Order: sequence, then structure tokens, then C-alpha cells
Amino acid sequence: MLSGIQKSTVERVAWGERLGFRRPMMSPLTPVAALGVAFVVLLTASPLLNLLTAALAGGSRGLSSLLSGSVFTLMSRTLLLATLATLWALLLGVPPAWILTRTDLPGRRLFRVLGVLPLAIPPYIGALTYITLLGPVGLVNKAYHAMGGAGQLVNIYGLWGGVLVLGLFTYPYILLLAGSALESSNPALEEAARAAGHGPMGIFIRVTLPLLRPSLLAGSLLVFLYALSDFAAVSFLRVTTFTTEIYQQLNTRFDLRSASALSSVLVLLTLLVLVAQRKSLGRRSFVQRGSGAKPPTVYPLGRWKAPALLCTYLVLGSSVFLPIALLLYQVGSPGILFQTLASGQRYLWNSLWTGAVAATVASGLALFVAYLIDRRKGRVGLILTAATQLGYAIPGTVLGLSLILLYNTYVPWIYGTAAMVVLGYLLRYLPQAVQGSVAALSQVDPNLEEAARGLGRSSWQALREVTIPLIRPGMAAGWMLVFISSIKEVAATLLLRPAGFDTLPVRIWIATIEVDFAGAAATSLILIATTALPLFLIKRLDAGISQLD
Amino acid sequence: MLKTVETTAGRNATRRMILLILAWMSVIALGPSAPTTASELVIYSGRKESAIKPAVDLFEQRTGVKVVLKTGKTSGLANEILQERRRPRADIFIATEAGVCEVLARGGVLDPYAPPGARPIPPEYKSSKGFWTGISGRARVILYNKGLVRNEEVPSSVLDLADAKWRGKVAIAGTLERTTLSWLSALVQVMGESKAKAYVDDLVRGSLKILPDNSDVWRGVGSGEFALGLTNSPNYHLALKAGLPVGVVYPDQGQKGMGSLVNPNAVAILKGAKNLPEARRFVDFILSREAQAILVGHAFEIPLVRGMDAGQVRPLSSFKALTISQERLADLEERTIKLFPGF
Repeated sequence: MLSGIQKSTVERVAWGERLGFRRPMMSPLTPVAALGVAFVVLLTASPLLNLLTAALAGGSRGLSSLLSGSVFTLMSRTLLLATLATLWALLLGVPPAWILTRTDLPGRRLFRVLGVLPLAIPPYIGALTYITLLGPVGLVNKAYHAMGGAGQLVNIYGLWGGVLVLGLFTYPYILLLAGSALESSNPALEEAARAAGHGPMGIFIRVTLPLLRPSLLAGSLLVFLYALSDFAAVSFLRVTTFTTEIYQQLNTRFDLRSASALSSVLVLLTLLVLVAQRKSLGRRSFVQRGSGAKPPTVYPLGRWKAPALLCTYLVLGSSVFLPIALLLYQVGSPGILFQTLASGQRYLWNSLWTGAVAATVASGLALFVAYLIDRRKGRVGLILTAATQLGYAIPGTVLGLSLILLYNTYVPWIYGTAAMVVLGYLLRYLPQAVQGSVAALSQVDPNLEEAARGLGRSSWQALREVTIPLIRPGMAAGWMLVFISSIKEVAATLLLRPAGFDTLPVRIWIATIEVDFAGAAATSLILIATTALPLFLIKRLDAGISQLD
Repeated sequence: MLKTVETTAGRNATRRMILLILAWMSVIALGPSAPTTASELVIYSGRKESAIKPAVDLFEQRTGVKVVLKTGKTSGLANEILQERRRPRADIFIATEAGVCEVLARGGVLDPYAPPGARPIPPEYKSSKGFWTGISGRARVILYNKGLVRNEEVPSSVLDLADAKWRGKVAIAGTLERTTLSWLSALVQVMGESKAKAYVDDLVRGSLKILPDNSDVWRGVGSGEFALGLTNSPNYHLALKAGLPVGVVYPDQGQKGMGSLVNPNAVAILKGAKNLPEARRFVDFILSREAQAILVGHAFEIPLVRGMDAGQVRPLSSFKALTISQERLADLEERTIKLFPGF
């Protein structure tokens, strides 16, 4: 009987290996690694704990705000917004991803670089430009009136406006991930399908789409979670969501308890979404891709060239050219742009260095976390995953207030310095770096490292000489994502910045309050250019954000 | 043999990991050191930077005291001050709405100071316990679009806004703007709870548009998105400056009218302020004629100090103001929020 069990275990392991599973290596944590884990958990979980205690400290009052019927209405509306925005982003992202990687569309290389640009445009700026265009007294309605129309032709305010804008400025996540997956997938499978008599549509549905599933899921997750946590864009567009309600509780009633209770629900929602993603991807192993594979089949477009170009231009036009053109129009004269740049150098520098430090520290921590998660399934990995991923769900304002209380009380020498701003970015966007590193690391066979060790390298050397070069593109992509998210961040920065330390988004926010639209537009253009530059560089290095799925 | 190699290598790797973490922690520790020293006066200000900065600059010039200014939204900064209470960071708080100071006073984070310069300020525009002092005011007014509202139709009372002919054409900011919250509380006080509720419900049934903030209201009225808006008096001047076709009414001025509510901007000193003498000097300075002239001139605010030249704006003496203490408004607040959900 004993042997029977043993045999079945052996069989399972063998099966697992054939399927690409890795045997978990469960050696005990070294004291130092344990210390590292404790440090990461302390860093990331302390605001979460603070949130929970603040919510529970309210006793019945904090919780009663959760039980009222309005919370369910709020939750369903927020989920509806996030779901529709994700579907819209998929619609915007998948066709260009296919057209730009699999067809002979002229100018596709340039388009692929341009396609990432919407990530450089913060959705709140996108919202403001679209209000100028589609608002009740926007350019479109004005033109409509000039042509003799009565009433409103369009009104962007409300749920559909929120969906429109959120999708437009987050679809590059999907374009990037789906694009690189399409680029590196094995053409042999598609050829086989063609040999079996399927047309291009049939191949796409039966072969390509299933292969894209992990990257589409990862991209959708980024869009969905962003839509859940966005505050600025939805409040400009007058959509009531969880985050706007939290803001209301905080700023009208100074009720941190209700705000914390509501934020906890948001964290819980995010947790469910993350679990669903893991479940959906299942225990499927990743395929080593890229090196050595044949380039993918390129389909000649023929008479489909015009529609394909139109589709690409429509997507890029509405998410890149139009907002930038509207911003230039609002700036008015190039003089204002130069003047803003000259007087705003300090803010530019502040944004750049805080973003770069946050991205670098996040990448370092992410490597450590990813290494532990990947090489050590089980409880430690689970705790680390939860601790590092959930920060994404806490609204920036609430996170900021939590950090103020924690750091001002326990580590006052950090509080009041720009390190707090870096910390805010780090906690909000560490998940992006961790996702990147985990995905990249999961594609590296640990046997490679073992082989290096067998050849006399130390573990550190093996890591540095074998693993890191292999996962560098994934890490670079993670760095980039944290950097661009950080330099757009405004909610937590407003609270955490030391007096006298402003970043570009803070200046945009101040200019908006001062009703200095030209100044706000000029600063926005500088912010977009600052974000776009490294995006171009990374695309040129072709580090491929591919590794992110 | 192989095993030993592995463990020493493992130790090496982990040692480096420690070094990395220590290095990072020391970067944080030694990095950009605290920019504020005890000799710098730290001001958290909810006022627009363009309105407060010139006064702060003049204060630095006159006194030689160095000031560090953090501009934000009044309520955001108030939340920050509440969170920082165990180790206060700011010396001075400047609020766009005195009710927030009342909240902070009740939270026990303010230090009382009754500046001599505040004597000519009417009692409803300063804290009776000296926790805060009004520095300028904003009247609650009706703003209208001259293209959409004919001269003879211009309403003279806020009660007229519930009229069926303005259905869907009136805008107001929600209670995220504390001036709206004060106005609603003042209605409850003056009209009584049931009448105030009936009036506001009428407005809401008439498709009153509740917007995120006051700038949405005045820009919306100016652009013609709405015919009428309930907002604060400086916004009328801002709209004029932006070239928008707007007119203004100081409502309910008749014999039996309730008058127009005036919301004070306020200055307060924080409990535990590290620079108490400088903080008091700043409060004295901000109430001086020189500073008042800057505040009034730059932001179209109503001077609260009697005898100050009001410039382009209507002085306090020229209209009937609704008189209610901020303490009373703060008492009513919780009730008001319950009475008017959706604001």
C-alpha cells in the first residue's frame, strides 16, 4: 500500500515535469531571506493593516456605512464601469495588435511606437481634453449649434464618458502584451491550422486567440484594476464610483473610518480579481519563447489595406493625436510652453528623480519577491504575492493618509522628506514590477541556474550571469511601467510631498485650480513628453514588454 | 562536497541581499534630508497660490522669517493635519472655509490666539475661543448667464430657483465644497428643518444639477451649460475676468429676506507649532492693512476688517448678510448631511 502511494507520487511528479511544472523546492528560508521577507511584508502590509484597524476602530459606525444599500449600488456601478472600460480597451487594443504584428501594413513600426504613447497621457488629462471636445458646451456641440442644431448632440459626462476615456488611455497595456505575444508565438501552430483547411478568421479564433489568453488576461487585469482605482478622471467626468465616494467621506465629513471601510471593500474586490486571474491561468506552465523561433507569418493585406489603416488611425487619432492637438490649442502660443518649461525645471527634475528612484527600488524588491514566489511556492509565496499586489487597490488619498499616520508616528525622520513621495509611488506601483519579474522568471528554467552552479558558479554568480540576463527585458519593462505610473501619480503625492516640493502632476493640479488652463496644458505637454521619451527608448531597445504576461 | 559549495554560495547570495537592503535603507535615511528646519515657518494653505503667495512673500521681506508653503485643497490639508496630530508639522493653517477650522478645533489640534488686529472683525467671522480668525469673506450669490436669463427674469431670492421655469437649468456644487454645506446648514437654521427640506427637495425635483466643485458651476453658467448657479461671490469676478457673459445677484436682500451667507476664509495656529512666536507674527501680519489689501485685490474677496477698502467687490456694509456663528453651523453639520443625501 505504501509503495502504491509512492508510485502514484512518482507518477504525478513525472506528469508534472512533462507538463512543465516545476517541483517546488521547499528548503527552509535562510535567516537573511526571512529578514528580507519580513521587511517587504512590513513595508507593504503596514498600510493595509492600518486601513483595517482604522475601519474596525469605528466599530458599528464604520461598518454601518458598509451595510447600507448605497454601497451595493456603488459597487455594482464601479464594477460596471471597470468591466465596460476593460471591454472597450480590448476592442481598441486587440485589432491593432494583430494588424501591426501580422500584416504588411505600411508604417507599422512607427505605429507600434506611437501605440504605446497613450500610456504617457494621464487619464485625467485625457478626460479634460475630451470634456473640451465632447462636453455639453464642447467644440462638437458648438459646431452642431453653428450648423443650426438645437439641444445637445453629445454629453460626455456620466458612465459612458468614463468608459470612453478610461479605455482610450489604458488600451496600450493590451496592445503591448497582445502584440508581443503575437510576435513571439510559434507560427508552426498556425501553419498546421491552415493545412487543416482553416481560413485566416478560423485560424485567429481557433489558434491565435487561445494562445493570446494569458496576455489578454494580464492586460485586462491592468486595465480593470486601474479603472477600479482611478479617481481624477472619473471625478472630472462626474461619474460616482467607490473612489469618489471615499473622497467625499474624507473631505466633507473628515470621516477616515468610513473611508477606510470603503477602501477595505475595494481591496477585497482586488483580491478576488487577482485570485480569479490566478485560477483562470491555472497551473499551466509557460512556454519558453522568443529565441530561435521562426518569425510569425505576415499576411499581405491587399484590398484590406485601407480599412486596416483607417482602424489604426482611428485608434491612434483618438488616443494620441487628438488630445495632444487639443493641449497645443489650449496652450495657445509656443512662448507659454517655453516659459512653463523654464520656470518649471525644478518640478520636472523632482518628478524625474522620484520616479526613477521608485522604479529602481521597485525593480530590486520585485526581483527578490519574484525569486521567492517563483522558487518557493506555498505559504511564503502566497503571503508575498498578497502583500505586494494589494497596494494597487488602495485609493491614493487613503494610502497617503495611512502613510502619514504610520511614518510620522514611527519613523518621523523619513516623514517630511521627499522619500515619502517615493514610498507612495513604490507602494502603489510595486505590483507592476512584481508582475513583470514573476512572469519573466517563470519562463526561466531553474535547471539553467543549477547547471551554472554545477559548473562551479556561486548562487549569486548563477543569478547574475544566467538568470538576470534572461529576465532583464521583463525587469526593464516592469521598471518602465513603475516609472511612467509614478510620474503621473497625483493623489498620494499631494499629501505626501514635503512643503515646498512639487512634481509636474501637482503643478497641473494647482494650475487647474487656478483656472490657468494654458499653464495646465503646457505642463501636461511637458509631462507627456517626459514620459514618452523613455517609452520610445525602451521600444527601440526592443526590450519587449512581452515578458510581462 | 557539492553541498558545501552550495551552502557557502547561498550564504554569499543572501549576504549580498542584506547589503542591498541596508544600502537602500541608508539611501532613504541619508538621502534628501528634511527640508524644513525649526526656524522655517511651515504654512499649509488651501488658498489659491496666486492669492496667498504675494502676501507670504511680503511677510518674508518684512520680517526676515523664512516661510515654507504647501498649497493644497483645504479639506485635504485638514485631513493631513488630523493624521499628523501626534507630531505636528505645520505651524499655520489657512482655510478657504472656517467650518473646517471648527472641525479641527473640535479635533483638538488648534492653538488659541486672539490677535489684536481681529478686534474690528464682526464676531461671527472669528472663533469665540480664539481658535481661528477670519481673514476675508465670500458671499453666497446667484450667478446667471446674461444670454439665457432676461433682465426682468433675474431671481432676487434663492427660493425663486425652485420655480418650474428654471427646471434643469440651475447648478450648485455638492458638499465636497464646504461652502455648499454651510449654506445648507444655514437654511436649516433660518427656515427651520421642514421648510428647508421642502425647498431643497423642490430644487432637486426640478433637476438641480449637483456638480463636483464651484469652478464647474461658474464655468458652466458662463458657458451657457446652465442658466443659473449658486456659488461664491469671487467666482462672479473670475467669470468676468475670463470674459464670460455673467451677472450676479446678492439674494434675499428684502426687508424680510434672510440675507446672503458670508463664508470666512480663516487662519489658525496649530497646537504644538514649533515656531509659535513667528506663527503669531504671521497671523498679525495677515490682518494688517498691507496684507489685507493684497488678499482682497488678488482674489476678489470681501474684507472682514471694518473700514478696509473693498476695491471692486461689494463691501460687507453694502448688503444684508445672513448672520450665523460657525459654531452653530458645525453643530448642524451632521444633521444637514443626513437631511440632504445626494449633495
